[in-house]
Amino acid sequence: MDIKVSDIWLRDYLKTRATVNDVAKYLSLCGPSVEKVEEGNVYSIEVTTNRVDTASIYGIAREAAAILPQFGIKARLQPVKLPTLNFVDKVKYVSASINHSLCSRFTAVLIRNVSLKDSPNWMKERLSAVGVRPINNVVDISNYIMHELGQPVHTFDYDKILKGKMVLRESRKGERLTTLDGKTHTLPGGDIVIEDGKGKLIDLAGIMGGQNSAVDEKTKNVLLFVQTYNPVNIRTTSMSLAQRTEAAVLFEKGLDPELVTLGIGRGIELFVKLTNGRPESQILDIYPAPYKAKKVEINTDFITERLGVELRKDKITQILRSLGFETYWKGKALEILIPSYRAEDISIPEDIVEEVARLYGYHNLPSILMEGALPEPLKDTPFRFEEKIKNVLKGFGGIEVYTFSLVAEEEAPTGLKLKNPLGKESEYLRTSLSPSLVMAARQNAGEKEPFHLFEMANVYIARKGDLPNEKMMLGGIFANTSYREAKGVVEGFINELNVKSEMFSDDGAHYLPNRHIYIKVKGRILGEFGELSQGHLYYEFDVEALRAFSKEIGSFRPSPKYPAQIEDVTLTFAARTKIGEVIDFVLSKEKLVSRMELTDIYKDSYTFRLWYQHPTKTLGNKEVEEIRKRILAGIKEKFGGIVKS
Amino acid sequence: MREEIISTKNEAMAQIMEADSSSELEELRISYLGRSGKLTSQIKRLKEIPQDVRKEMGLLINDSKNSIEKALAEQKNRIGEAAREWFDPTMPGIGPKKGHLHLVTQAIEEISRTFAQIGFVRVRYPEVEWDWFAFESLNMPKGHPARDVWETFFVDAPIHPKYGQIALTPHTSSGQVREMNRVKTPPIRMINIAKCYRRQIDASHVPMFHQFEGLVIDKGISIAHLKGTLDYFARNFFGPQRKTRLRPSHFQFTEPSFEVDITCGICKGAGCKVCKSGWLELGGAGMVHPTVFKNGGIDPSKYSGFAFGWGVERTFMMKSGLEIPDIRLLYSSDLGFLKQF
Repeated sequence: MDIKVSDIWLRDYLKTRATVNDVAKYLSLCGPSVEKVEEGNVYSIEVTTNRVDTASIYGIAREAAAILPQFGIKARLQPVKLPTLNFVDKVKYVSASINHSLCSRFTAVLIRNVSLKDSPNWMKERLSAVGVRPINNVVDISNYIMHELGQPVHTFDYDKILKGKMVLRESRKGERLTTLDGKTHTLPGGDIVIEDGKGKLIDLAGIMGGQNSAVDEKTKNVLLFVQTYNPVNIRTTSMSLAQRTEAAVLFEKGLDPELVTLGIGRGIELFVKLTNGRPESQILDIYPAPYKAKKVEINTDFITERLGVELRKDKITQILRSLGFETYWKGKALEILIPSYRAEDISIPEDIVEEVARLYGYHNLPSILMEGALPEPLKDTPFRFEEKIKNVLKGFGGIEVYTFSLVAEEEAPTGLKLKNPLGKESEYLRTSLSPSLVMAARQNAGEKEPFHLFEMANVYIARKGDLPNEKMMLGGIFANTSYREAKGVVEGFINELNVKSEMFSDDGAHYLPNRHIYIKVKGRILGEFGELSQGHLYYEFDVEALRAFSKEIGSFRPSPKYPAQIEDVTLTFAARTKIGEVIDFVLSKEKLVSRMELTDIYKDSYTFRLWYQHPTKTLGNKEVEEIRKRILAGIKEKFGGIVKS
Repeated sequence: MREEIISTKNEAMAQIMEADSSSELEELRISYLGRSGKLTSQIKRLKEIPQDVRKEMGLLINDSKNSIEKALAEQKNRIGEAAREWFDPTMPGIGPKKGHLHLVTQAIEEISRTFAQIGFVRVRYPEVEWDWFAFESLNMPKGHPARDVWETFFVDAPIHPKYGQIALTPHTSSGQVREMNRVKTPPIRMINIAKCYRRQIDASHVPMFHQFEGLVIDKGISIAHLKGTLDYFARNFFGPQRKTRLRPSHFQFTEPSFEVDITCGICKGAGCKVCKSGWLELGGAGMVHPTVFKNGGIDPSKYSGFAFGWGVERTFMMKSGLEIPDIRLLYSSDLGFLKQF
């Protein structure tokens, strides 16, 4: 949570000559982080969830008073001045029955004859500086105390609480209550509520008061109300009713019951001063288990080991005492008593290490690299292979994209659904990269030049009763590119990875009929390529399958000793002849043809380049002619192709 | 023979001086230096002459050849521009088709390389993960206010009796207990880089982003080692002059916890318009909490360790000084953007 602290208010409790910049800088280095100093010297401070004791003017003063002297700047905490307080567990003006598991400390005091009016300027100014709108003296006092001490305070119109009776209990599911802001809540049950003598709910405790018991312009007598509530109940209620008040945000972090003393004392003092009210001399205080100092034990070896440097015992003592801890040494062992306001945060020796280290200054600790044995490297990790794939595609002109894994239902009908999506278009975890890549290509529809986008990312395949299978996929999409150019990239890519695979044409889901090919090794599908129904040339590979069949280095074959005879042959074919099959046919039938490429297409004429090559001799013209005859006869018989005259 | 060589040379020189076109010069070159040119045939005759003068003649021929070549070149330059063969060397080249790796890929590769140098092992753990690994085992029980920081997506699936709900990992810290379970006996030096998801979208947040998580566990690991590691990373990744510092922070799964800052690359820590204080925030870190050790099956009385987890995108932008005004651009597929890197 972020809080605002005005410097002038801070100095009520922090007696120092440190400048605003000093305070900001040194607090940030050793305590709560000052994010910025706003105009009028207001610190904006980030308070972490464990340090609710610093979520106030007084809390920051206490912290600064410990930190500044570490930098050689004198500073002292001015304790809160309180009137004499007479706490008793029964009073005449109100009777209360409390469920102690919900409320560890309950205090209240009746203040008679208050006069409602505007607060004095100094209070209005201070409240405005920390972002609170002044309303009237009674409301302002509550807000003032909450910001000063970090203790929420509530005020009831005493005359609206029937019979001066209060029952603090857990709510029952479905009970209704209208809060001060006019909202009517149907309670989920288990909320902390207070009912009056007539069974009417008058307070959503710790979150917001009830409208029916609120102070208004006719109020004469105020019941000042300061409590410590069970943080879990407060948080559950506040979250489920989406009623995130400042009070709730404080209470849910677990407040110090001892802080109640300061809260009610400050309240009485301010009510007397600002409203001319007359407080009852007895304060109701139901506090069955007062704080007993918590103990943590530690020894110097532990501190040294964690810090990486040895601190003197007197330095440790000085630091801990400045933070309000009591210290008792027995040799190297140290027993520490924790003050009430740190009890929630400090329970184990590691917590003490943090206190010592941060006040000593993290910047004063040495910086060294670890020694010792290195961990075993993981065998068979995919990372290098994935990097290689990306680099190969980049080399072929591919442009890598990262698209969101969250898609709309129609794009992942079998995908996992989110409970709390940001919107309909990102409600499901994707099971294929293709919808995202089609979108990516469309996003660049204005581009006239050819382009090729690719992405490597997990898709998430649902499994019953288990986490989804996270499958690393590679997808790529082409635009303004011909089928042969795109296929050439896919073929080149497979070759570059040294995967000996075969291509099978077969229809595939989401692809145009006849325009789809599977890439297989030993019957296992590694990937596919073709034209999507939406009209884009697309490929997708299972990266782990590719990796299983990819050789890091190609196998060695000695270069042929005897040169090849190379010639071009042009053939004409009837329509609907599959040229890929013609080439496969020649290469599989004729061992002396080492290579065959399609070099040109003109109407129904296809020009092939043939490499005739014998492993142990140079082929003569006569031998080449024989091979050529065999090939042409075969092609004519099987495919009806004839040499173009 | 000497006279013959000298006269051939003189004759050639005279003719070259008079030539006035490049074709004429080419003819002259062939008639003297070509395969059956005059000077070439003299070279061929060298082996017929007596040994004692052969070397001298050889040198003389060579000398003549050099003179003729030089004269040819000079004359070529001397005759007018018009007579030269036209060539335009200023024509632009035809570039190869250029591919591009995404910034996030470049960042991940560089981050893994840097940590590999000091023995970190890269791992990968689920991006869709049980609540147990994402929160509970990290000392964040259900309903804990500390969970609020991680705006988490949950999957609509049955709740596992032991591991709880299925979440999209909001941080790579969910790999910590997984790694402890895998290694069992330290040392551990892990670097886990993965996609993370959070329920937020604006100019500086995207619902999907990347983090890298470091985890070191061994005997006697201290805050000083964390500082050493971070400084090593800062020097090698950001540059030799960069330094890091730790400030107090709070995470449920580390104790103590830190916020890590790095000196600003522009002012080197002195304070400037960009950084204000001289420091920029890198991300969180801390000493592994004993509860996390217990949940990972490692004895916290024998071992200690540290962890840090930062955003890949943010860290890389801080390195490169790239000022990308809206982080959502990284995840758009706009060619104009992608082709810049």
